[in-house]
Amino acid sequence: MSALAYFGGVTVATVLGLGIAMLLRPGFAHAVLQSAGLESIPISDGLSFYAVRVQPLFDAHCISCHGAAREKGGLRLDSFAGTMRGGKHGAVIAAGKAQHSELFTRITLPATDDKAMPPSGKTPMNTDDVTVIRLWIAAGASGTLPVGAIKGAPRLVTPVKMPEINPIAVRKLRAPLAGQVAELQNRLPGVIAYDSRSSADLILDASLKREAFGDADLRLLAPLRARIVEANLSFTAVTDASAPQIAAMTALRTLRLADTKTSDATIRTLASLKALRVLAVANASSATLTALREKGVRVYGDVNGE
Amino acid sequence: MRKTPSDLFEQLHREQQTRRQFVGWGAGGLGAFFMNTAMAAQQPTTSTGLSFKRDPSAPLSALPPQFPAKVKRVIYLHMGGAPSQLELFDHKPTLSRFGGQLCPESFVKGKRFAFIRGVPKLLGPQFPFHQTGRNGTWISDRMPHTEKLIDDLCLIKSMKTDQFNHAPAQLLVQTGDARTGHASLGSWVTYGLGSENQNLPGFIVLASSGPGPTANAGKPLWGSGFLPSVYQGVECRSAGEPILYLNNPHDVSRASRRQVLDAVDAINQQTRKEFGNPETVARIAQYELAFRMQMEASEAMDIRREPGAVLARYGAEPGKTSYANNCLVARRLAERGVRFIQLYHWGWDSHGSPTDEGINIGFVKRCKETDQPTAALLRDLKERGLLEDTLVVWGGEFGRTPMEDNHGGSTEASKYVGRDHHTAAFTIWMTGGGVRTGMVHGETDDMGYDVVKDPVEVRDLHATILYLLGFDYQKLNFAYQGLDQKLTGVKPARVVSQILA
Repeated sequence: MSALAYFGGVTVATVLGLGIAMLLRPGFAHAVLQSAGLESIPISDGLSFYAVRVQPLFDAHCISCHGAAREKGGLRLDSFAGTMRGGKHGAVIAAGKAQHSELFTRITLPATDDKAMPPSGKTPMNTDDVTVIRLWIAAGASGTLPVGAIKGAPRLVTPVKMPEINPIAVRKLRAPLAGQVAELQNRLPGVIAYDSRSSADLILDASLKREAFGDADLRLLAPLRARIVEANLSFTAVTDASAPQIAAMTALRTLRLADTKTSDATIRTLASLKALRVLAVANASSATLTALREKGVRVYGDVNGE
Repeated sequence: MRKTPSDLFEQLHREQQTRRQFVGWGAGGLGAFFMNTAMAAQQPTTSTGLSFKRDPSAPLSALPPQFPAKVKRVIYLHMGGAPSQLELFDHKPTLSRFGGQLCPESFVKGKRFAFIRGVPKLLGPQFPFHQTGRNGTWISDRMPHTEKLIDDLCLIKSMKTDQFNHAPAQLLVQTGDARTGHASLGSWVTYGLGSENQNLPGFIVLASSGPGPTANAGKPLWGSGFLPSVYQGVECRSAGEPILYLNNPHDVSRASRRQVLDAVDAINQQTRKEFGNPETVARIAQYELAFRMQMEASEAMDIRREPGAVLARYGAEPGKTSYANNCLVARRLAERGVRFIQLYHWGWDSHGSPTDEGINIGFVKRCKETDQPTAALLRDLKERGLLEDTLVVWGGEFGRTPMEDNHGGSTEASKYVGRDHHTAAFTIWMTGGGVRTGMVHGETDDMGYDVVKDPVEVRDLHATILYLLGFDYQKLNFAYQGLDQKLTGVKPARVVSQILA
């Protein structure tokens, strides 16, 4: 047998094999065509409706069987390209027509149906999930349409991720003030605490000390004031003399001054606190509070003139 | 007070030492001693859980949460006996249409109910519903005061449980497990965060009731289970002495009480050194706390110190035991740094007989007893800005069936309408820091039988509460019986992120 016949035979067999494979598995056909440059690869934009709203649903409900690990029915839903390519029985998305899309039909079948997806025993998609997919297909099953372009979609909820604590990083973060924090925790027990085990922010709560905590005690905490994110001074003996101390707590988010002798004089100095969101006051006039309210501060307590 | 294996070894070793005092030191004893120390040294120093090591003399000292918390304290309003969601929050016009007809077989086939046998009739909602609030939320006419705060609430209509009897279901809601011996929600919270106010318990229980059985599961509902007993709830009364046996007996001065305590403390310290048992530490701490509480507890619980307008708003009457008084006390405790305030109001078990268990009688009374005080509490917390960092939860241990329960079956009983215990769906509400308000989460089918959207298991609720308090429910654990015990148990739980603000 001549070399020509041999290589010719191999080539014919390869082309035939490829052809059969492409016929049997449309996904493979698209992959071959796309890698040969004969077909454009569908891509989705990172901020598209597909990437933000649709793909996460597939990731949560579908890709354990239709993904990299398993490709049931020749279908992969782990990328926009895969979703649009479909499975061995053809496309699963009919752009613009949700009711004619196999994928949509499957996720809306009653759970008892053999063809329902995800199959029984797996977490079904809820009505919000189904709505998101329906709206996306109806809007043309685009990979680039921005997330805000489709109206009427249910609110996007991002699942809670529990932050990991890195003790070394936390120690580093706390290091500059660690000595002073420890010393003041000793000197004023129960007044200063870290916001959490994973941060260097501080919470000041003197409310339980009642009248035993006053302006002089607050002055002692001056070295820590830039780190204080919450200050509860309700029921304490602090007065307007503490206003400069409080106004210097630049990271303050919550301030409580209920049942104290503070007045408008203190409230007026708070305008510089950019992070302030919650304020409980005693004896403040509504005029001074209006400015704070307009900046988004939620104000509580005895407000005169209302 | 997390007990590491090496702590256990140490304790075991000390206990064995005393036994050995009788038999004398033998070679075996020495060998065991060597084994203990050698093995203790090999214990891994890392653990998946968080460290809750505290100064042994202050097991309730405050600790920061794992990550920044949304809320600092919880007020849990447990409606014992299980109020009917179908008469309060879950609006089902279809059920109303089919009321009086026999229920579909699928409702009862292969299912277990506490009392219903055979095929019962469907029971339509007994009270009219209407829409209210900025989102047009459906609600019945039974809670007119609470209704005004609907925009501040987050209703969860898709709660599920797997317990159809009161005691196990209450235990599941309060301790994460249907059997006794597990640590209650409040115990986990005080274990994790300690107590802000060293002069009051970190976990206080206040109970009130209509007629009929109370606390079906008993005190284990606020027990510490496998956690050291210093973390158990302290039951207080809103009438008379708030805590029994707290005050000094007649003719015993505070100074002489101190002397007695000092002597007892010395003995207890000696026992602690000898055995290293954490329960001794708990005992010392309880004595000391009780002594400090003599000063503060009566002041905190004394609602006579409140202005008349406040009492009227709650409907509180000093000197009585009532839910209204307890709600007012709850606010006072919240202001005083108590971490976990657990209220119980019993008597919601509306089966239809006897009289007080009728949806048209007892249920109506329970609504009246609780509606105004609950609303007053919410409003009070809101006005003081306390709702910013307090979580309030309202709910029973399960729901009630869309089918009528008429057990007893006598002519007298038929005058009263009732529903059986229902596990497949019930409604609770939450509000406070970090909670998305003015929303409804989850949905039931047209008959109100089963959840059709966003089911929430009790363990999911627990995981969510712990998350709001700044904890990863997987990390708040305690080594016991070879397992890192968690409030959420061993089944997979999740934080219900849809209800977070």
